[in-house]
Amino acid sequence: MERSSYPSEIPIFEFPGGIHPQENKQLSNRSPIAKLPLAKELVINLKGQAGNRSIPCVAVGEQVLKGQLIAKSDGIFSSYQHAPTSGKIIAIEKRPIAHTSGLEDLCIVLSADGDERWVELSPAEDFTALCRKQILARIFESGIVGLGGASFPSHIKLQREDGIDTLIINAAECEPYISCDDRLLQDNTDEVLKGAQIISHLYKDLNIIVGIEDNKPSAIEALKAARTKLRMTFDIAVVPTKYPSGGEKQLIQLIAGKEVTHGKLPADLGLVMHNVATCFAIYEAIIQDKPITDRVVTLTGKACGKPGNYRIPIGTPIKHLLESTQTLKSQKLIMGGPMMGFEIQSINAGIVKATNCIIMADSNELKPEQTSLPCIRCGECMNACPASLLPQQLYWHAKADEFDKTEEYNLFDCIECGACAYVCPSDIPLVQFYRYAKSNIRNNRVEKIKADNARERHEARLDRIERVKLEKAEKHRKAAEARRKAAEASGQADAKKAAVAAALARVQAKKEANHEASNSHQADKTKEPKA
Amino acid sequence: MILSSPFAKKPNSVTAVMLWVIVASLPGLAALIYFFGIGVLINISIASITALATEAIILRIRKRPVSATLIDGSALLTAWLIGLALPPLLPWWMTILGTSFAIVFAKQVYGGLGNNLFNPAMVAYVLLLISFPVEMTAWIPPTELAGQSLSLADTFSYIFTGTSSQGYDINFIRQGVDGFTMATPLDHVKTELSQGYRIQEIKVHEMMTGLSGIGWQWVNLGFLFGGVILLFRKVAAWQIPAGVLLGILSMSLILNVLNPDAYLSPAFHWFAGATMMGAFFIATDPVTASTTKKGRWLFGLGIGVITVLIRTFGGYPDAIAFAVLLMNMTVPMLDYYTQPRTYGHTKTKGVSNE
Repeated sequence: MERSSYPSEIPIFEFPGGIHPQENKQLSNRSPIAKLPLAKELVINLKGQAGNRSIPCVAVGEQVLKGQLIAKSDGIFSSYQHAPTSGKIIAIEKRPIAHTSGLEDLCIVLSADGDERWVELSPAEDFTALCRKQILARIFESGIVGLGGASFPSHIKLQREDGIDTLIINAAECEPYISCDDRLLQDNTDEVLKGAQIISHLYKDLNIIVGIEDNKPSAIEALKAARTKLRMTFDIAVVPTKYPSGGEKQLIQLIAGKEVTHGKLPADLGLVMHNVATCFAIYEAIIQDKPITDRVVTLTGKACGKPGNYRIPIGTPIKHLLESTQTLKSQKLIMGGPMMGFEIQSINAGIVKATNCIIMADSNELKPEQTSLPCIRCGECMNACPASLLPQQLYWHAKADEFDKTEEYNLFDCIECGACAYVCPSDIPLVQFYRYAKSNIRNNRVEKIKADNARERHEARLDRIERVKLEKAEKHRKAAEARRKAAEASGQADAKKAAVAAALARVQAKKEANHEASNSHQADKTKEPKA
Repeated sequence: MILSSPFAKKPNSVTAVMLWVIVASLPGLAALIYFFGIGVLINISIASITALATEAIILRIRKRPVSATLIDGSALLTAWLIGLALPPLLPWWMTILGTSFAIVFAKQVYGGLGNNLFNPAMVAYVLLLISFPVEMTAWIPPTELAGQSLSLADTFSYIFTGTSSQGYDINFIRQGVDGFTMATPLDHVKTELSQGYRIQEIKVHEMMTGLSGIGWQWVNLGFLFGGVILLFRKVAAWQIPAGVLLGILSMSLILNVLNPDAYLSPAFHWFAGATMMGAFFIATDPVTASTTKKGRWLFGLGIGVITVLIRTFGGYPDAIAFAVLLMNMTVPMLDYYTQPRTYGHTKTKGVSNE
């Protein structure tokens, strides 16, 4: 593929490992971003972002306008969702979602009226008049999440203010096939850069660096031109094309020459990183007051009838995309890139905010299903791993269910980029083994907490029973003491009186003991957990 | 079945890896044939048929896919290496015994390819060496010294009947023109040293010309050449042969400096016996070598040092096989204690946890 001859404006460091898969970007990056006809029905997945499900705030049968709020954040870790077009809510029910499992989840189904009538918008041309709090609130209310693929709610990422000095715009787009950020940088350069300015403004003033792979010469040219036009200052860090340079940790390593310490965040290095499409969404949200209703998606693959980049409303069913690009014979549908994406199980599922690419592959385009051979420990995976892990050892232990060993080999530092599986001569689906081990370890952790709680409760109960027993014994002893004293007091002469007194004391003691026991019994009951 | 990412795949395969090793051994094989006759080819053929047949039978018994596993090429490669390592006129049944033992007990018993701890080819070699020490050290002299080359009919006859077509036994052709039985240069050095000769005196023998003796230096150069191809193709991890050669160099240099009369030079060690074949084709078996970068260095260095020590002080003239097997034992430990530093971590794991 064509490489940019433009030198990086800041020194570039290296990250270990990495691979050079076939780029296949020219399939989709030749024409400007276009539009497709609107789908009749949009299926908006309420769990379309990282974190928790959004909570619907419209009723079935309600008419909504484009951009109208239809689902709220759960208030903790979630995001807002808006009507992608005007129309009528026809269902809020479980529908197939775009997920590797092929499971169903709660979706809002919107029947489009085709009018595309917007809610009332209040554009704010001068964002500098807005304070940090106002901007953050607007980002939150516009439902903005990281559009690079992780869809982490942006307002959370932007929350931390102190110590941040640099904004890195992630334009690396290292996955094969995907070209939506490349196109956005060429077709909406100004908007993307203004979005970056808004983020910079959030922190008073940040040093801005655009990290981009050298396989996007046109985008680099566009950035240079826009920089002059907008009189902005930022550095273009041109990094060599190598997957996964666009991984957050890897791009930081390339640009800053530093590693994000295990368990820490990029913010601890004074860095905050946002994707090109997220900057664009922030621009639209702040300047035009438009929440996320659509996004640029790369529709590509050798089976795709009209490959290219399109602005597609959120919730548009895959089926509609296949039909409107005249794709008839696709053998396999991948959402995301070929390295980290997943196979679409149902074409009735709608796209989500994280959908940056759909590959409509023909029969010989992607890896065929293959039986894997045994691992020969050749170490190719080790040489490809950008996190300097030992994938061969992780595989060995994950396969044997030795999860403690996988943790010793730093399993949780695996970013699941798939470079190891890409190079494996034995065709072992390595990442699948790591996901398996990770989910087992997570489940075990939950189980362990549960078991610990149960054990503590059981021990507390045993303690209590023992205590009650001791208290009872003490009562009996005291009663006996009282009897003896009574007997002594009345003397041997009046044995009859003494017997009566002793009986009374016995009754008294019994009463007391009963009272005590019922009290503690009640206490037991209230303490007993519901589980 | 739901396939997990990635959906892209580099076109490479285990079979290609195995075949590349075989291809790269051709220069060494050519040198062996040139200096020691066609016997090595017959050995390779016998070993290959044995290995494939044994592997097929065991896979059948273990109810594993037979043809799909055989085409991975690993059994063929094991046989190939055994064939290259054995003396050219070894009785046929010994080759069969060693090869089948390697496949069954050094490979399939552990669970087949990828699970074995010991290098199967070297297990075969050592089994035969300690069971049949006379036959296993009966290398014939290089053609140049023998005066005439062995005919194809005689080669077959020796391997399958133990005598030549005229009925001579193997010691007949092992005799030089002076009537003394010829040994390999390493063997010769060992015998002579034990009789009190100095290295300089030993080296005047006609067999000892060149770097490491007639024939053997070319065999080693052949394997070195093929080995470099393996490194360039990235089929073998370069740290292992580098470690082996460095280990041999440093150990033999120390001894040689201490007493050049009693200890061979590093150059001799490098190009004698099975050094180059061992360094590039045997020690680099990824399954039984250490899998980390540092571990591979240590693994190689260990082989080099042990080889020189056994050659010098042990009872056997050559020692690559023993050195490889001894270092195979250390691999799990090497792997654990030589983990690389993971991204974002300050210390290497295995030594200390975070």
